[in-house]
Amino acid sequence: MKVLHRLTAGVRWFARRTRAEADLDEELQTFVEMAAADHVRDGATPAEARRLALLQVGGMAQAKERVRIVRPGAWLDAAGRDLRYGARQVRRDPAFSAIAIATLALGIGGVTAMFSAFDVVLLRPLPYAEADRLVMIWDAMGETDVTTRHNPTPAEWIEWRRLNTVFSDLASSQGADTTLSGDGPPEQVPARKVTWNFWSVLGVQPAAGRVFSEDEDNNGARVVLISHDLWQRRFGGAADIVGRRIAVNDELHEVIGVMPRHFYFMPSRDIDIWMPASFPPWMRRNFTWHDAQIVARIKPGVTLEQARQSMAALSLQVTAKDFRGPHPVIVEPLRDEMAGKTQTALTLLLTASGALLLIACVNLTNLLLSRGSARAREVAVRVALGAGRGRLVLQFLAESLVLAACGTLAGLAIALPAMRFLESLVPEAIGGGRLSLDWRVLGFSAAAAIAAALTFGLAPAWRGSRVAPQDALRGAGRGTTGARSHWFQHSLIVVETALAVVLLTCGGLLLQTFQHLRSTDLGMQRERLLTFETPVFRYKEFDRRVAFINAEVEKVRAIPGVISAGSINIIPFTNFANATFYLLEGQSRDRIAGQVALIRNVSRGYFATVGAQLREGRAFDASDRLSDAPVAIVNEPFANRHFPGRSPLGQRFKFGSLGDKGHWYTIVGVVRQIPESGVLNEARPAVYRVYEQCDQIGDLNAGIVVRTSVDPTSIVPAVRQAIWSLDKDQPLARIRTMEEIVGQQLSTSSQSTALLGAFAVLALLLASLGIYGVLSYAVTQRTSEIGVRMALGATSREIMIAFGRRGLALTLTGLAMGLVLAAIASRLLTTLLYGFQPDYVPTAVAVSLLLVGVAALACFVPARRASRIDPMIALRQQ
Amino acid sequence: MEKLDIPQGTLDLMILTILVREPMHGYGISQRLAVLSHDQFQVNPGSLFPSLYRLEQDGRLKAEWRATEKNRRAKYYRLTAAGRRQLEQHRERWSRVSFAVTSVLEGA
Repeated sequence: MKVLHRLTAGVRWFARRTRAEADLDEELQTFVEMAAADHVRDGATPAEARRLALLQVGGMAQAKERVRIVRPGAWLDAAGRDLRYGARQVRRDPAFSAIAIATLALGIGGVTAMFSAFDVVLLRPLPYAEADRLVMIWDAMGETDVTTRHNPTPAEWIEWRRLNTVFSDLASSQGADTTLSGDGPPEQVPARKVTWNFWSVLGVQPAAGRVFSEDEDNNGARVVLISHDLWQRRFGGAADIVGRRIAVNDELHEVIGVMPRHFYFMPSRDIDIWMPASFPPWMRRNFTWHDAQIVARIKPGVTLEQARQSMAALSLQVTAKDFRGPHPVIVEPLRDEMAGKTQTALTLLLTASGALLLIACVNLTNLLLSRGSARAREVAVRVALGAGRGRLVLQFLAESLVLAACGTLAGLAIALPAMRFLESLVPEAIGGGRLSLDWRVLGFSAAAAIAAALTFGLAPAWRGSRVAPQDALRGAGRGTTGARSHWFQHSLIVVETALAVVLLTCGGLLLQTFQHLRSTDLGMQRERLLTFETPVFRYKEFDRRVAFINAEVEKVRAIPGVISAGSINIIPFTNFANATFYLLEGQSRDRIAGQVALIRNVSRGYFATVGAQLREGRAFDASDRLSDAPVAIVNEPFANRHFPGRSPLGQRFKFGSLGDKGHWYTIVGVVRQIPESGVLNEARPAVYRVYEQCDQIGDLNAGIVVRTSVDPTSIVPAVRQAIWSLDKDQPLARIRTMEEIVGQQLSTSSQSTALLGAFAVLALLLASLGIYGVLSYAVTQRTSEIGVRMALGATSREIMIAFGRRGLALTLTGLAMGLVLAAIASRLLTTLLYGFQPDYVPTAVAVSLLLVGVAALACFVPARRASRIDPMIALRQQ
Repeated sequence: MEKLDIPQGTLDLMILTILVREPMHGYGISQRLAVLSHDQFQVNPGSLFPSLYRLEQDGRLKAEWRATEKNRRAKYYRLTAAGRRQLEQHRERWSRVSFAVTSVLEGA
């Protein structure tokens, strides 16, 4: 309370301080007049009396000053004065200030932009009640599978719910693409089928309407909840949306609720429809139908570790009778799931931007220190006039604060465009993909600015205020400041050089990794390849589905600018689902646990269209029709797994139904691997077959790939017309070029590389500016010393070497330290390197050469200036 | 004879004591202090006014502008209830201090 009282008193006083000042003036005047009157009464002349009275007061100005210090607003007043003084200093040396502000703007802008992304992904609370108790649960199916973690099955969900002791509840959600039609153009929207308790597990309520009940879920009620975005986009935000019946997959569903605007959930923020899971009876018993995502809420008082152990045991028990053998589960906090790999990238980049800000501060410290000694005489005068050390330090700091404030404003201008660039780093699972300068981010940059001002201002303030007035005023800068005062500045140079080396090295390693990823053989030619998807559920019979897909391909192929077209049920690189067990001819059934391959159905022209490379055998052709002797093409990992060193052609295998009902597929070809499950994922065994020879179940989606001779995006309208000419209610979904798909998967890598590279280059620039600044200041300061040396016979070459050597010694020390630190830092990078092992040594060598080169230039310029000094002029200068 | 320095911390006590009888202006207080201390203490405005301002801020004194008997405008300081309480406390403590000091000096 006392602080508050002081503060309000201070503010109140500040508001009427002119008045207070006048009061004080009058009070002192009265004092003098009364004293003078007494002296007159004692017999002095009026003039004499006034002189005596003034003597008694002992200096009006000092008396006033002493009163001002005790007044409540004193600190405010002083701060105001210091800031004005600081602003004046900043204006007085515009060149210096411009450099300082630009340096700070880079540092603060970078760190602000990085923080905004870091905050959105890792700090901001997720839009669920007590989100830190939410976890995702995955099946750990072992190494032999297409992925180490698998979606659990609805059957497991039922068992876990029944038997677990650590969760208050678990909910399941499954992916489902839906087509909206009837009330507008046909539209394919991402949807999730969720269990009725999904909302209570997350602790969210719809913004309007209600959620569905357990009965509705079990009975397969035709009800949906829609996203705020869909409500606005497709239904114009209609007030009567709740209760309306809309056509979802050609069947009328009642809209029972609208989700809040900021609601989102795994796996992506653009889910538009939530509908009841309504597991069919067979799915409730099937422990092989791995397509559910399970989110669970840990009971209060249970730790994550306890939940993990308990679930591991439970899972082994539940899957004990599974013919593939029991498997454990993976329990991960929801936040980690959502942030994914970006967590490391963002942490690294935020650290890097922090390092850049630190370098900027170090540079400014050096600049201010150099200037501080130039201002020693000014300070000495102030000390002589009675300024205390504390006041001087505060005044120096005020100047730093003014610089930091200007730097922050300029930095925010840099941060805004940088944030647009960073938005693609926000994982798809995290909502609110737009980054904005809100109060959290602004608060952070204000804190960063103050921290920066203290970092770069404190040492110069401390040192600048430590002035022995007589020395400074007497020793008219005879340029003999010894090495003593330089060690600090020199170590700062070493520090910033080391930091720059770390950033450059890490940037180099990331660049190598990125180039490696980009040049990874994707098994196809991804240039000028358009892809999109069309749902085919509306054709009930299998034959009509295949006929429609073939008709699509034919129609698209006829478009001008199209070279060829083909179809695959799942567009490459986008999905690691659709895998199944298989049985090779001659294998016994109990030997195939974990023997899984991805299954892809394609049209006959698919491989030619994407430009896949056939290692041996043949591609599909017109002879592959509906038959009892179907054929398959396998990829290299499949061939190498079972037929190392020999040809698999002619071998037969079965999949799906492994019993007598299943067909034997004969291998007729081997293709180079295409990493179907993602550009960054290792290619797993995969099997391709033609649509005509698929099981009757068929696919719900057909992906179409189109090879064009023109810009692939230019034919999109024609493609749309072509499809609609076949079926006017057929939506086209996810229209993307293959380059886009690949680029998006590499975006974390490319973004982090680009950003770290930018930070590294700026760091190098700042570090060399630092070296340049310190050396060139030393030259200026020691002009007369150089003059003396030259007068005594030193050659200009010797002078140049002396100065250059000093700069290079600093650089090399920093380089050595930096390389050690970088070796440590590169260990931390491994998760961002995607299993790739970049060569540290060549990167380190390249960085060293670059640094020494740039530093040599930074040393050369001032050293040369030193060697050009004319002794006559130098000595006369004083 | 040379004037004495006012011992640290006692100026406030003396100001409060002087103001017990009646409100006074700054010059009056300084004159009264000189008279009461038999001219041993003389306080100049550089010390007096900071003390007065601090006491006023802390609510021990209340100040108001009034006319003097010679019809001059002056700022008068008046003791508040809080000031009176503090005076009693300080006075009590001071007599203990001075008794203790005297005892030590005489006992030695």
